[in-house]
Amino acid sequence: MYIDTLFSIFALTAVAGSLGLVLFRHPMRSALCLAVTMISLAGIYALLSAKLIFLLQLIVYAGAVTALIVFIIMFLNLREKDLPEENERFTYFIGGAVVLIPVAWFMIKVMKSIPEVKNSIVGNGFGSIKEVGQMLFTNWLVPFEIISLLLLVTLIGAVVLAGIRRESND
Amino acid sequence: MTTLDIVMVIVRVSISAFVPLCFLAVCVTMERRVAGFVQDRSGPNRAGIYGFRAGGLVQNLADGIKLAFKEDIISEHVEHKFLYVLAPIISMAAAIISFALIPFADTLVLDGKAYVMQGIPWDTGILWFLAVTGFSVYGIILAGWSSTNKYSLLGALRSASQVISYEIPMGLAVISLLIVYGSINLSDIARFQGQNWLGFIPMWGIFLQPLAAVIFIVAAFAECNRTPFDLAEGESELVAGFHLEYSAMKFAVFFMGEYVAMFASSAVIVTLFFGGYNIPFFSTDFLIRNIKPVAFVMLVILPVFMFYFAKWIRRNNRSQYPRENDPREAEATVYIRCFWILIGVIEVFLLAILAFAQPDTAAAHLLVALMQICTFLLKVTLMLFVYVWVRWTIPRFRYDQLQILGWQKLLPLALLNIFVTGAIVVALG
Repeated sequence: MYIDTLFSIFALTAVAGSLGLVLFRHPMRSALCLAVTMISLAGIYALLSAKLIFLLQLIVYAGAVTALIVFIIMFLNLREKDLPEENERFTYFIGGAVVLIPVAWFMIKVMKSIPEVKNSIVGNGFGSIKEVGQMLFTNWLVPFEIISLLLLVTLIGAVVLAGIRRESND
Repeated sequence: MTTLDIVMVIVRVSISAFVPLCFLAVCVTMERRVAGFVQDRSGPNRAGIYGFRAGGLVQNLADGIKLAFKEDIISEHVEHKFLYVLAPIISMAAAIISFALIPFADTLVLDGKAYVMQGIPWDTGILWFLAVTGFSVYGIILAGWSSTNKYSLLGALRSASQVISYEIPMGLAVISLLIVYGSINLSDIARFQGQNWLGFIPMWGIFLQPLAAVIFIVAAFAECNRTPFDLAEGESELVAGFHLEYSAMKFAVFFMGEYVAMFASSAVIVTLFFGGYNIPFFSTDFLIRNIKPVAFVMLVILPVFMFYFAKWIRRNNRSQYPRENDPREAEATVYIRCFWILIGVIEVFLLAILAFAQPDTAAAHLLVALMQICTFLLKVTLMLFVYVWVRWTIPRFRYDQLQILGWQKLLPLALLNIFVTGAIVVALG
């Protein structure tokens, strides 16, 4: 019962946060709305018994990525007057909403066709750090390693890009 | 849920929420007294209620009342008033909830039910701490940015980039620890450290992972924005840093948040490296099985300790020059009497345990839990003393030195530590 209530709260804040992200004019407010959305998504992951993903969401997305965005906005001291004029904003909003109607209709139809399942906490260490780790390092080892290679490539790329810029500045 | 369950939930949550707040007074007093000691002066010793100064604690009360009743000013030029007010709340809240997953006693068994002694009985431990301390950056950034003041902005820039960059060596130091402990749960980690190595060395993190301990402690100092890493409020350059524009209670909340964060990070350091709640050489099982000898030893030790403590109070609580009917001597007498009454009450309880309690009963478990809470708080207080000690001993870093230390020294050392630890663990099987 309380899981349903919590789910509604998290879902509503997530939607409200993403609406704020789009509707606020000031970049700092938009970025903070993004943080709200990230934290409410973390709450939804926690309700799905995915403890590890809940924590990673908090550390990586809410803690690091959004904090970095906010930091950059502070660093550049972006204001509303620094942004380009958007006179046709609401036209785009309405156009986008009209385009999305069939998609939304389809999604609602899919949702309705899913049989109703009772929400409950999954036991047996499901989603805990140990279980996920064992799963990753046994059944999903190759995809895991490929993804870590990808991360390594981006890491090296970032270092190389930063190095090139420093040389050209000198 | 039985009544006991509800009582235990209330007890655990209130311990994890109010103990950090109560330790504020201890931290601030210790800071001032140690500063006085280091700079060869007395520290706060005037504020008192009817002459009772409680070793400087009354000064905190006076400061608290002053800050609460000061005019709360929000300058005209602050554009985003909501974010401006939100910033101190974020830093305080993040500081308090980062203590929620730290065990302050071993799992308490009452009526055959086990209660994990954490504010939130959850097994994600250290990751939670890393996640929540990450949020404190928002408080700093929002405060510095919404103040619309160049000093605040510069302070926030320094502070935020410092917190973000020191999170990395901190996380890497934790990884090598996790390889050794084999668990991420802080309760498991604390229990692991209750074992003895070769029978006489406690298996504390500081002995198993000395390098990780150094890296983690340095990074924790930087995360708390304490000297030698307090460039964020370099008084000679930036006035006060990111909380420059804040007045009255909003400033007080920042100030409190800083000390609560210091308490929480010392608690984490103690849990990871100094055996957490464990009393050295005595495991929980041993204490519970031998509750009567333990109670007897406590019964004997407490008055002896109190005797020397009373002497210490007597020696330190007197006027600097000879006075007739020294009021401070009378004050000391009152304190000593209060402490003796407290010791007497504890002795009565211990006698009752000695007379009636059997090993492995609820009373035994409760006594051991209380002893462990006291041990934990004692260790945390010592760690807080280290924080204060370092602050008044080491001068401030320059900003580039700080970043070089973080990225070029601590980060490679932490990576090396992970490889070496991994190799040793694999080699030993």
